[in-house]
Amino acid sequence: MSEQKVYIVPCSGIGKVFGSIGRETTYIVVNELERGKAKLECLPLIIKGKKEIIEQLKENKVIVIDGCPLKCSYNNVMEQVGKVDAQFMTTDIVKENREFKPESAIIPIGENTKVLSQKLAERVSKKVHELLENTEEVND
Amino acid sequence: MKKKIGIIACSGEKLIGGTLSRAAARIVVEKLRPNSTIVLCEPLFAAGGLERHGGQEERNFAKEHPTITIEGCEEECSKIAVERYSGPVAATIRVDEIVKAHPELNPKSLEDLGEEGMKLAEIIAEEIAKKVDELFVSE
Repeated sequence: MSEQKVYIVPCSGIGKVFGSIGRETTYIVVNELERGKAKLECLPLIIKGKKEIIEQLKENKVIVIDGCPLKCSYNNVMEQVGKVDAQFMTTDIVKENREFKPESAIIPIGENTKVLSQKLAERVSKKVHELLENTEEVND
Repeated sequence: MKKKIGIIACSGEKLIGGTLSRAAARIVVEKLRPNSTIVLCEPLFAAGGLERHGGQEERNFAKEHPTITIEGCEEECSKIAVERYSGPVAATIRVDEIVKAHPELNPKSLEDLGEEGMKLAEIIAEEIAKKVDELFVSE
């Protein structure tokens, strides 16, 4: 079994619901779908340049989830860590599921936002598997 | 015309202080002081190299308006980001200190604060609203 973990870094914005989808998605992946394989990391600490966190990310796989085109999570992880193994945009899952228009409520999130987060979490979960499988192949 | 005050909440996801700070910020801007405050997105605000990707609005707003940061832990990421990119903050609220003062209120989880956690967020929001009022009086 691979000892590598997949770190997930959501953008965490609170101005719009798209950041909330990223946050909720991450919680579903790390607490339910990929418990023990995926871990959450805190974007502000990465931006701050916390050495031990940046080293952890360099040594493991990293998935970023962004909520707007400015891609704070992607850009900051690239800047501090120098790599991103996969990236997701919460706006993509919204566009692909027009029947679930996310509610504007940010705390607590609405039912449609929960559905969208679950859908995105399943996609992220698949990526976690792929990344870990690739790691195992390299190690074999 | 009076200026708006920018509220910048810790966007940390790993500690309950991050969840509480976000909830408190939303309560202030949506319910307690909707006309005098605006929430600034911390990741967008703090992002290094942002000048290469666009999105300077948060930093420019904080240069021209008073700001209150809400910190979820002792790292004070929000305050550091504001002071690095825009200048001194007008006030900082430490969520962990308020949490310690209310041991009777236990948030349910990071994802769902639950009834007691929301009560705690409301108390934090009241503290922020007091600071907002103080800043308007002092102007």
